[in-house]
Amino acid sequence: MGNGRAAEMSQVENLVQRNLDTIINWSRKHSLWPFFFGLSCCFIEEATAFTSRYDIGRFGAEVFRGSPRQGDLLIISGTVFKKMAPVVLRLYEQMAEPKWVISMGSCSNSGGMYDVYSVVQGVDQILPVDVYVPGCPPRPEALLQGLIMLQEKIVASERPSRAVFNLGKGGQGTTGPLLMDGISKSRDPRGPGYEGIPVRGSSVSPPFFADNRADRMWTPPAKRKELSPGDQRLAEVLHSLFAAAVVLQADVTDMMTFQVDQEILPAVLRYLKNEASPRYERLEDLTAVDESARRHRRDLPDFTLVYTLLSFSSASRVRLKSGLQGASPDTASICDLWPSANWYEREVYDMFGIRFTGHPDLRRLLMPHDWEGHPLLKSHVYRATQMTPYGLEDARNHQALDAAAFFVRKNDQEYLLNLGPHHYSTHGVVRFILDLHGEEIREMGIDLGYHHRGVEKIGEHQSWHQFIPYTDRVDYLSGVANNLTYLSAIEAMAGIQLPDRAEYIRVMLSEFFRISNHLLWFGTFAQDIGMMSAVFYAFREREMIMDIVEFITGARLHPAWFRIGGVAQDLPDGWQERVADFVKIFPKRLHEYEALTANNPIFKARTRGIGVLTLQDAIDWGVSGPNLRACGLAWDLRKKTPYSAYGAFTFDIPTGPDGDCYSRYLVRMAEMRQSLALIAQAAKEMPGGRYICEDCRYTLPEKQETLRDIDSLIHHFVTVSRGPKIPAGETYFATEAPRGEQGYYLVSDGLNRAYRLRVRSPGFANLQILPGLAKGITISDLVAILPSLDYIMPDIDR
Amino acid sequence: MFPSEYGAFSAVQPDLLTMALYFLMVFGLMAVLLFLTSRLGEKKPTDLKLSVYESGMIPAGTARFSYPAPFYLIAIFFLIFDVEAAFIFSWAIAFDQLGWQGWLRISFFIFILLASLVYLLQKGGLEWATAGQQK
Repeated sequence: MGNGRAAEMSQVENLVQRNLDTIINWSRKHSLWPFFFGLSCCFIEEATAFTSRYDIGRFGAEVFRGSPRQGDLLIISGTVFKKMAPVVLRLYEQMAEPKWVISMGSCSNSGGMYDVYSVVQGVDQILPVDVYVPGCPPRPEALLQGLIMLQEKIVASERPSRAVFNLGKGGQGTTGPLLMDGISKSRDPRGPGYEGIPVRGSSVSPPFFADNRADRMWTPPAKRKELSPGDQRLAEVLHSLFAAAVVLQADVTDMMTFQVDQEILPAVLRYLKNEASPRYERLEDLTAVDESARRHRRDLPDFTLVYTLLSFSSASRVRLKSGLQGASPDTASICDLWPSANWYEREVYDMFGIRFTGHPDLRRLLMPHDWEGHPLLKSHVYRATQMTPYGLEDARNHQALDAAAFFVRKNDQEYLLNLGPHHYSTHGVVRFILDLHGEEIREMGIDLGYHHRGVEKIGEHQSWHQFIPYTDRVDYLSGVANNLTYLSAIEAMAGIQLPDRAEYIRVMLSEFFRISNHLLWFGTFAQDIGMMSAVFYAFREREMIMDIVEFITGARLHPAWFRIGGVAQDLPDGWQERVADFVKIFPKRLHEYEALTANNPIFKARTRGIGVLTLQDAIDWGVSGPNLRACGLAWDLRKKTPYSAYGAFTFDIPTGPDGDCYSRYLVRMAEMRQSLALIAQAAKEMPGGRYICEDCRYTLPEKQETLRDIDSLIHHFVTVSRGPKIPAGETYFATEAPRGEQGYYLVSDGLNRAYRLRVRSPGFANLQILPGLAKGITISDLVAILPSLDYIMPDIDR
Repeated sequence: MFPSEYGAFSAVQPDLLTMALYFLMVFGLMAVLLFLTSRLGEKKPTDLKLSVYESGMIPAGTARFSYPAPFYLIAIFFLIFDVEAAFIFSWAIAFDQLGWQGWLRISFFIFILLASLVYLLQKGGLEWATAGQQK
């Protein structure tokens, strides 16, 4: 009798609980609150999902919450970096209960294409995950699908009522087990089933170069450049001044190059900057090469330091190389000559262990402060899957440096505030540390490296061809404009001539991406200043561009569509109509944007006279792109050193009057008009003919040809599987990317991949001026300056 | 105090009882909500969760120190002038009944307000520029 009663009671209890579960689950399903959190490219598609076209609000996940306290859905969108993982974990812990996790994109799912020392091979090693959204990046619709799957999971398998009434047991939120690389999931970067087959790139891995077939391939030597009369004069002057300490390099493909003795290097640089004619005003790039894995060492030093200088007046560059001996050699800092050398030298120290005496603050720049080794040394491990798997304990133990470590002095009237790595207005994962006195910023420190994807190391291990998709992700908003820089460098080195049609297609698509990038900049810039609606308008037109890009290339953010010597396919039928539609509609839309902002008194008050950068500072700090032009200098590589087909186009270089936030706004808005004009010209004058060059030594043959004759098929096979061999040499090639001058410095050892691949990114130089601009202003002005510089973290941290 | 011909619960002519009931309902609702939030739901207070959210970093230093806050002054001034607008509104509603005497009084009141604003400006109470902006 008693038993029956108890059973009846528990039956009633079960009934109540089941009904409560249903009600709670239903409510939760329709009111998930995503936390505003993004790591890299995937976040752009996540953000697109809440704009009007995709409207994630339809699924009840309306407004992204800025604080972890208010969110219950964590969408890990992008690459989980080892430096960032402790932050991801802390944010997750700080979210309210119950909480759910969606892993968005290949990187977050498994490390994706970034099996490299700085990347965690899947967020499920530190957090439980409910839904994995595949893609690189997944489309916004894919994220919506992931959200629906999570909703279904909540309804189907969660029993929250016991947890809600604190009765123990039950189950809610994401509770899945943590996985471990090599223990509970496959460590093979290619997935299971490939055991016993050497990992890609092993044939070119020093010191063995096992079964390397590049040597059996013949190419003509790298292209040679004749020195101009101006260059020759300068070489003579340098020779007379410094005698044998400066040696002109005989074979160059891109610019005049000198071998300089390390002791007199600062003196030579000083002369070139201040006295030479023409004067080389800008330190374009400073990097190093670890020569230890050269196949033929000959008389090469252990390291070569490479300084690239730019002269505005003659639109020419010069390269100085200086050899260093020893495992961690010393050399003199040139921070007193160019302030911008500060970060460059820190990066070289971080990546190679080369010390710079006289540097004011020689610390690691990109890697975590407790990292062991210097990643770009040939002896440093490359793949994350060759290292101890990164797990929960690592994420708990490796904490970032305390904010106080970034400043020398600190009195008790001042307050240290971390702005980032997770913050609305940092536009990516970067950590600004503000030393505040009241509302005033006294001092500012920057902690980089939260987005370090080891791209330069990857470049040394992927074939020339395979690296193309990585370039898309260097500046993930500029898409194929990144391909263009990298491929132009290869083509310059190998002397590949492109058919006109390919050049025009490249120009047209690169300009589409410039507009797309500027649209996103416009939306976020206006939003940071307090105008919510701009971003929704801007994304509307951006989607038009994405549609055109997808129609032509088949992908949205990262088409990886350019190929060595041309592009991947011909333009599809019907492209003219779509491009013409956009060219017709866009000017009106631009006019609408300007009506919203240009004469808006609040917008002007927030931007005019704020963050003024003088032209001299801009040049000294190596600032480029719209930020430089906003200071009044009409410097645009598309005009000054025309590359690709730009020489055949007519367009203007918009410049700004004052170098403030408003000028930077004006320049970018005007640039969108110019880009539109370029697109219209390209579409109108699109030449016929091949879309990829005929030189099959380096390029993929046209697809139709591979289906027709065996010669083309063989070339296709070799280029795809082995990758082309590029003749030994070095070259630097810079283009005017949407954010400024992006340059690739490639060193080839005559193999099927780069010996050293260096990315000179515009953002790196553009962001370094920030502490100078931030001094003495308020946080609200800083928030206006940050987006006005239009930097992006993957190209700063690379 | 004012016996109502509509009864104590009248919405047309509210009296003290209605107000008391209203307050009772407000407090009752608040008490229920607070009680439920404190009792219901899963709580997992870990050190990390209870730590301060500062862009995902561990905050540096203490939050207990003297901190210059010019915004505080602006906020207080705003509050003062804002509240005084309420007097002007209530005069404006009944300005015809209050007559010239009312007009004179409110004019005097506004004059005092203006004078205090001028005084504030002179004392630099509304200045809020950083070193960078003064440049």
